[in-house]
Amino acid sequence: MNDIIQSFNPSDDSLLIGGVNLSSRLFVGTGKFSSHEIVPRVLEASGAQVVTMALRRVDWKNPQENILNYMPQNTILLPNTSGARTAEEAVRIARLAQAAGCGNWVKIEVVQDQRYLLPDNWETLKATEQLVKEGFVVLPYMSPDLGAARRLQDAGAAAIMPLGSPIGSNRGLQTKELIRILIEEISLPIIVDAGIGRPSEAAEAMEMGAAAVLVNTAIATAGDPVFMAQAFRLAVTAGRLGYLAGPGERRFEAAASSPLIGFLQEG
Amino acid sequence: MQIVVNGKAQEILSECTVFQLLEDKAVTLKAAVVELNGIILKQEHWQSTLLQTSDSLEILVFMGGG
Repeated sequence: MNDIIQSFNPSDDSLLIGGVNLSSRLFVGTGKFSSHEIVPRVLEASGAQVVTMALRRVDWKNPQENILNYMPQNTILLPNTSGARTAEEAVRIARLAQAAGCGNWVKIEVVQDQRYLLPDNWETLKATEQLVKEGFVVLPYMSPDLGAARRLQDAGAAAIMPLGSPIGSNRGLQTKELIRILIEEISLPIIVDAGIGRPSEAAEAMEMGAAAVLVNTAIATAGDPVFMAQAFRLAVTAGRLGYLAGPGERRFEAAASSPLIGFLQEG
Repeated sequence: MQIVVNGKAQEILSECTVFQLLEDKAVTLKAAVVELNGIILKQEHWQSTLLQTSDSLEILVFMGGG
């Protein structure tokens, strides 16, 4: 197995987003970890190059705390616009993140629904249109809908990030069929974001042709987040290899793997 | 004089710059971002910007997020 992994060089299969060639197809979020101190070890084990974080009012009890202090050098920072309920709020957060020196990548997240945290595709589209005009590399988090994805593509999004299931639910690819359609119909990279709870689910998304996956809760809430980060890294590579290898045809009935001639009991 | 910091009214001394306020509150200056009355205030202007009565200031930093 090591030979196979070693002969497959992920940097020969890079993912181009915003003019950057990414060799890792695992994006990692930094929320919900028991302490910030574990974050550098998780990021190293994951091999992730793109890492998300959130902008918030400073915590007066801990005014020195800043997640950026725990990011390895050369990380591509992907601030999200979590907390935004409208396109205007998302645009405001994106501009603030850029002013904080985080580069020009942004994950648009516009949510009004507090129970399932499902994104508002309409407001997400408006924010995408505006931020693309301002020169941002825009990765919109969205409900997997083909019409909305086409409009996001036309608006200049750098990738499309459909949810697999609600944020933090660890329920996997509940929207699998809709994501499959996006992969088939949209020429932009499709990055499955939200809900992936197990490495096998990340592999499943990659095997069906997702360009990358974004994982946070599944790693942060694992018994051993560092091991889980490594497991996701392997799963994403395995799923990608499986996709590139071209899975065989599925059949309803059996098709013998062994020859159907020369049986012992033949007369 | 009174200003609003992150949505809460606060008394501060007059002749206080944004930079002094951040230092007094021990905010990490690296990668903090400030909005003054709804407009982003770039870091190079923190030292030269004097706070005025009723100013509304947002002081933001990055936290873990997905």
